[in-house]
Amino acid sequence: MTDLSIHTGLTRRRFLQATGAAGALGAAGLSFDAANGLTLQKVHAQPAAGPAGQTVITKSFCAQCPARCGIDVYTTNGRVHAIYGTLDNPLAGGKLCPKGHYGVYLLYDADRIKGPMKRTNPKKGRDEDPKFVPISWDEALQTVADRLNALREKGESHRYATITGRGWGYTDVGLLKQFGQLYGTPNFNLGHSSICSDASETVKHIMDGHHAYSAYDYSNCNYLLVFGAGFLESFRPFTGNMRNWGIMRSKAPKTKVTVVDVHLNTTGSAADRLLLTKPGTDGALALAMAHVILSEGLWDRQFVGDFVPVEQPKDADAPRLPEHKFEPGKEVDPATFKEIWTVGVAEWWNVELKDRTPEWAEKITTVPARDIAAVAREFALTKPAVALFERGASAHTNGVYNGMAIHALNALTGNMFAKGGLRGYQMKTAWAKLPIKAEDFMDDYAKAPERKKPRVDGAKSKRYPLAKNMIQEIAINSLKGEPYKLDTVMFYMTGPIFSAPDCSKWEEALRQIFVIDTSPYPGETNRFADLILPDNTYLERLQIADTYPYEGYPISMIRTPAVKPIFDTKTFGDAVIEIGKRIKGPTSEYYKKIGNTENIVKWMCEGFKDKPGDNGVTDFETFAQKGVWYRKPYAYLQERGVFYEWDGKGYNKVMTPEEVKAKVMPTPTGKFEIKVTELEHHAEFVHERLGIAPERAPFPQWVAPRHGGDGDLHFISPKLAGQAEGRSANLPHVAAMIQPTQGGKRNVFLEMHPEAAGKRGIKDGDRVRIKNKVGKIEAIVRVTHTTRPDTVALPMIHGHWAQGRWAQGAGRLPTGSTNEVTENLSEPLSGLACFHSGLVSVEKV
Amino acid sequence: MAKWGMVIDLEKCVGCQACTIACGMENTRLPGEHWQDVIFFQEGTYPNTELKWFPRPCMHCENPSCVAVCPTRATYKTEEGQVLVDWERCIGCKYCMIACPYGVRFYTEEAPRYGGPDLKAVFPAADAHSWSPPWKAPQEDWKHGVGVQPHDVVSKCTFCYHRVSKAPKGTADLDPSNPVMREYTPACVVACSPGARFFGDLSNPNSEVNKQIANKNGVRLLDHLGNRPQVYYLTGVGGAIPNTHTTKA
Ligand code: SF4
Ligand code: SF4
Ligand code: SF4
Ligand code: SF4
Repeated sequence: MTDLSIHTGLTRRRFLQATGAAGALGAAGLSFDAANGLTLQKVHAQPAAGPAGQTVITKSFCAQCPARCGIDVYTTNGRVHAIYGTLDNPLAGGKLCPKGHYGVYLLYDADRIKGPMKRTNPKKGRDEDPKFVPISWDEALQTVADRLNALREKGESHRYATITGRGWGYTDVGLLKQFGQLYGTPNFNLGHSSICSDASETVKHIMDGHHAYSAYDYSNCNYLLVFGAGFLESFRPFTGNMRNWGIMRSKAPKTKVTVVDVHLNTTGSAADRLLLTKPGTDGALALAMAHVILSEGLWDRQFVGDFVPVEQPKDADAPRLPEHKFEPGKEVDPATFKEIWTVGVAEWWNVELKDRTPEWAEKITTVPARDIAAVAREFALTKPAVALFERGASAHTNGVYNGMAIHALNALTGNMFAKGGLRGYQMKTAWAKLPIKAEDFMDDYAKAPERKKPRVDGAKSKRYPLAKNMIQEIAINSLKGEPYKLDTVMFYMTGPIFSAPDCSKWEEALRQIFVIDTSPYPGETNRFADLILPDNTYLERLQIADTYPYEGYPISMIRTPAVKPIFDTKTFGDAVIEIGKRIKGPTSEYYKKIGNTENIVKWMCEGFKDKPGDNGVTDFETFAQKGVWYRKPYAYLQERGVFYEWDGKGYNKVMTPEEVKAKVMPTPTGKFEIKVTELEHHAEFVHERLGIAPERAPFPQWVAPRHGGDGDLHFISPKLAGQAEGRSANLPHVAAMIQPTQGGKRNVFLEMHPEAAGKRGIKDGDRVRIKNKVGKIEAIVRVTHTTRPDTVALPMIHGHWAQGRWAQGAGRLPTGSTNEVTENLSEPLSGLACFHSGLVSVEKV
Repeated sequence: MAKWGMVIDLEKCVGCQACTIACGMENTRLPGEHWQDVIFFQEGTYPNTELKWFPRPCMHCENPSCVAVCPTRATYKTEEGQVLVDWERCIGCKYCMIACPYGVRFYTEEAPRYGGPDLKAVFPAADAHSWSPPWKAPQEDWKHGVGVQPHDVVSKCTFCYHRVSKAPKGTADLDPSNPVMREYTPACVVACSPGARFFGDLSNPNSEVNKQIANKNGVRLLDHLGNRPQVYYLTGVGGAIPNTHTTKA
């Protein structure tokens, strides 16, 4: 048994120190009398209570991750003091993950910005005090509008960009497209998704037609196969995952769970089986599993199809011919394999799978072949099942190909759109459309052909033709002036100067740009900002949003302010509208008609009149009361190879292949594409960027990852269960709850295997330098068996240099962002930054 | 008269620490003043390596060592089974902290170890409270160790006395999915996503806690010490509680 002393606050030595000689008996009110021994009067009297206040519960939704659990916010005497999950919200089910409760601390964060400000120190740098001075909202908004109008007059409106992180939909980031259209910039919404999880969306997009995250039916699932997703720490929706975990692990039959990861986390420990693979090799495991499923005949024939029977000789005495089958190392004739809902299985076998044996995969992954084969058999034979993956498997140069191999497992086993399987994709909410159209307010400038400029981030350019966003390229592109230099940038809910790979480059770029930060908190972007337009925190805002994909049926939530803004802040969406009103020409008319975000919210709720929620929400008022609108069920179901549509009573309507293509699998073939049409079209590009022969490009396959940085250890930066988006590093309650085995309390630790540490003369608790050609940071080592000997892990929460007094607490380690040692390398198809494959060297300081 | 008890199913517990954070929020605790903590430990060698954990509130012992040693009878056990600290009587001698084998008690004046300034100094109180953050919960009852405490006292999990004591008489189960019972249920039980925590009346043979203990072999932490905790663990497959070590140094 391991020594547990590290976990508790009080050791005997600390006890003695703290108690000192204060002498309990010396405390006021104690006296000793011979008759009664020790007696006591009151030592502390409870102060008289103030007037008892009514506790009010307002409905909102959480902001600490993209899941958006519904929350009940408890306010008494105008102060928020508690947040619990909304019972009636399908995602929350009355629960929240640890982060959901942080809202009380975020609202009253002692470092909050109190109102709009402008910079007075022209010099910018990490250690330069911006010397902010408070200004009025009118001055702040007019400053932005003046800059934007001036750019427009020079024909340079494209040099204005909004760079966005977690948008909540229609009343913030959802407003930016119209703004770009009217004002004239292609950079109206440069999203952060390429430093988030774009590869998984790309995989779904090219294989089953949905550029989206999937909805899974966990509560009916009997086998869960998780590749690099931190299912019980960071995978979304976290609360939903945990709630379903409770169901999966106590239902009969109990859901069996296998986890593939590169270090030990709570997910891997809670699972039945953990396969610790080499970083970037998840695809090899999945390919070997597919090999086993096909060669052992374990695929789902009703979904995938089968070989046609061999025509046997008429002569009953002639020897029987063997039936077709997938034999390791041997090709099959694709014409003999008749597919139903997949495309390309037999060809895949020939070009890739036939040689991808578990033994082959063992060499690449270090995972024993027998374990790979066992998981493949279990996965195929235990129905229904789900195979899912996230950044652990996909944030590598081979990430999309890894993801394709994993996603294909869902199709081979018939778990696509199935009960208990990958249930489908998020359906849309019945919002009413706004009656005001931006097109009607475009002036000649906005309509001019010169406005058709490429985006500065390079997404959809020749270099990243399929990428949705490329936030990690903005700083370097702007510095190089390719395609042009940015003049003015507004940041909303993102801080690439800390969170993008090779983040230090942003410091250089932001020196040359007029920076507007909208965060209500100090941070690294703020340190480089020229103007601060502080947003309201989420508990102070009116806002609507759609759910993160959950079980497929539509869910939307509303934030109603629990308290009035406690400082002079303004909801970002309203700031955008106010700037719009100050843009010259018809743009201003458009925004005057829109008015404010409250109008938008109220208008959109009109859609509920015709489509009331299952919980009786029919308009804005009932929505605000309940906090959530949803309508069950998910519209489609695949069962034994037949697709059904919900007819109001049951899944009774059998769908034609045309309907499936239009509504369920909108790929070019209307099938699950194992041979991917989109990659056939981009075969040359794939060849050029990944060195794959063009004819092989369309198939899931093993591509060796290229690792950024340099050194002899892989470096990963996982997200802990306690880490909320953006702000948790400055919350002392969070620093205090992070566990030493996974993270580290005040400092987060670099996990290092004893063998790796020993070789370098490093001992538990040593301060070390983590370095490569990109940069270096220092951290404290935890020598532990929680990671592979070839991999070190450092949680990405700390290392802030401008986030507030707790984030920057004296001596807090690591000394910088994990991204200071992460090379800016991207997966070429999705554009996803390769966060989990870098190399570093580690040495004692 | 109810005898309140808690059951924690370690097979379901995912170590998320929402219980810790929700307890701190509900009861206005300082960072690190984890009335409810989750204890993690690692076992085995790579690649057969495991993380284990178990959540640890106060055990509300039937035979509480803390009560036995308290020189002022500030620490006491109620008729319904909660072990509480009367802050009006507590002199901060910390005998109870030494006596408690489970490490669940906290001294207000402990120097902060979370890095950055002391939150108590950032949000000081104008009166006898030890601090006064803007998110302070409305309930206050020093006789039962509820609310923000004065300086120099010891604090601990109250089994959410301010909620549970309002439950209708005769309540067997405090189930947070029941809207009628939700507001009386301890915060850590309300928060637990996988439903690993149960709270109810141990003296009622039909209560869910009793069923769980009976059907799933509930065990108590460090049972050989004789404290007879009113918190039970279900260890199922994969769950683990250390049975030889104390949970403090
Ligand atoms: S899962 Fe996400 S949205 Fe839900 S409580 Fe946790 S942080 Fe908030
Ligand atoms: S909230 Fe529940 S699942 Fe999470 S650590 Fe606490 S007991 Fe375990
Ligand atoms: S766990 Fe400790 S503090 Fe709680 S009742 Fe038992 S002895 Fe007292
Ligand atoms: S019962 Fe209440 S006081 Fe005790 S650990 Fe749970 S939430 Fe905290």
